[in-house]
This record gives sequence, structure tokens and C-alpha cells, in this order.
Amino acid sequence: MKKPGAYCQLALAAVVLAFICSPVKSASNDLNLSAQLIWGTNNEKPDDPKLKDIAPDVAEKLRGVFKWKNYFEVNRQEFKVGSSATKKVRMSNQCEIEVQNLGGSSVEVKLYGKGKLVVKKRQVIKAKELLVLAGDDKNDTAWFVIMTLANQ
Amino acid sequence: MIDQETQLKLQAYLDGESTSREAGEIVRLLDSDAEAQVLFNELRATKSLLAGNEPERKLAEPREFYWSRIRREIERAERSADLLSAPATTTWWLRVFAPASLLAVLGVFVAVSLRSPENSVPMLAFGEGHEIDTPLEEISSFTFRSERAGMTVVWVDSHRN
Repeated sequence: MKKPGAYCQLALAAVVLAFICSPVKSASNDLNLSAQLIWGTNNEKPDDPKLKDIAPDVAEKLRGVFKWKNYFEVNRQEFKVGSSATKKVRMSNQCEIEVQNLGGSSVEVKLYGKGKLVVKKRQVIKAKELLVLAGDDKNDTAWFVIMTLANQ
Repeated sequence: MIDQETQLKLQAYLDGESTSREAGEIVRLLDSDAEAQVLFNELRATKSLLAGNEPERKLAEPREFYWSRIRREIERAERSADLLSAPATTTWWLRVFAPASLLAVLGVFVAVSLRSPENSVPMLAFGEGHEIDTPLEEISSFTFRSERAGMTVVWVDSHRN
């Protein structure tokens, strides 16, 4: 029997790949998200009971990218955004985010500071990855809004 | 719009790697071009907020041996590509329709993976959609990604300094 040519082999491989990677049915297109407002500084932790330590792995990731030594959680919100829905989440008196579920783990995030739209970003949020909106603050500190898929 | 070569020269100037002639050109450009100033300030801001410079990676083997291995791999890949070409005895219909059918299958695969019908989630994400807007005039923003940290960062620069 004649051995199939190279084109046949490639076509067969593509068909197999297409079947393997067909869309997987899941229970819901809702997104369970987590948003943390974090403050970065090179000073020691101030005496503010509202400030909490962040997870060591997140702190390590931030230290690996940014110059600040210490990171403290100001607020944390976990919320669900339905398919094609939009959710507003208040992170602090001056900071609010609006998250729209675009489907397929893709979101559009709008960050509001003092009521004004500061930045808008579209992003696919993958498991175990961070979407970080950040900026400088007074006294050489920085603020971070870190979004992840919840329950990771 | 600043061309890529000028962008690279701005980066080199910031890193102290410009020749004296190029440094003079960049200084004159920064004095006269607002767009170049904005880009230079963004580059400087990025450099200042990062934890450290990219570490210099030293090869475990001599440079010539390293590059000769790459050359051998390229030549090997080119030889393999020659072997994949259809033999002369392949019938004409296979030569014509096989590539077309392969493209059709790949197209179906792409269309099926991108579709998001109700209650289904594609397993692959094609691209991330990097739309970013900064509507306030007094601030600027730029985005960068750290693969090592699995992190996409949108940095909002309020130009405090």
C-alpha cells in the first residue's frame, strides 16, 4: 500500500487538531473576578488597621517588576459580571472601576479617579494572570488595581 | 510620527549607548519635537519604575559555537522542507486540492474556535485586544507585559515630576 504523501499527513493532522480544539461547553459565560486596590511604598507599613498584607506570591510578582519594596492591600472586591453585562465596583472613595464582560474571558475595564475616566483597557484575562492598572502617587508611592479571575 | 529608527536612537540615548554624534542629534530633536519629548519621557518613566535592568545573559559556550549551532539547525530545517515537497509521481489532483483542503480545514478551525455561542467557551484566545484610552490631557499611559510574572500592566503617568 502506498504511503500517504506529506500533504495528506498535514491535512489529517489539521482535521484532528480541529476536532480536539472545538469549543468546550461550559456552564456559564459569567466571569468571577477579583479586584484589589494595592498601595506600593518603600516605607514600612504604617499604623493603619485598614491596610492588609497581600499574598506573598503577588507581592513577589510586583517586586519583580516594580521598584517598590512593600505592597499593602487597601481594598479587595470579588464580584461576578454576567455575559455582556457591566459592573461598577468601588475600590476607594476616589477610585472606581467599571468592568464589562465582552465574552470569552475578555473584559473592558474603565478606571475612574475622582469621578473622571482615567484609563480604559480591553484585555483577555487568563487564569493565574494579572491585569494591573497602576500609577504613581505622592511621596514616591504608587497605587495598583490588580484584577484576576477569582477562585484561583 | 516618529519612525522606528529614531525610537531606537531615543532608547539608546536614554541608556547611554549613543555615539556623541547621535547624542547631539537626539538633543536637538528633543528640543524641537514635542512628540519625541513625550516618547522620551515615557521611556524614562518606564526605566525608573522597573525593579532593575534586564540582566546580561552570558552564554555557557563560546559565541562562535553558539551561532554555528543555530546555523546547523537552520540548514537542517531547510533540508527537511525540501524532503516534504511532493514527489513527481503525486497525481495532479492531490497537488491542487490538498493545500486548498488544508486551508479550508484551518479556516473552519479558526471560525469554530472564535465563535462564542451560548454556554460555550473557546479553548484558545486569539490575541488580547490592546485598546487603551487615556482621555485626560494631563495624564498619559502606556502598557507593557511581563511574561515571567504573567502580568499585563497599564501604567498611568500623572507627570508628578
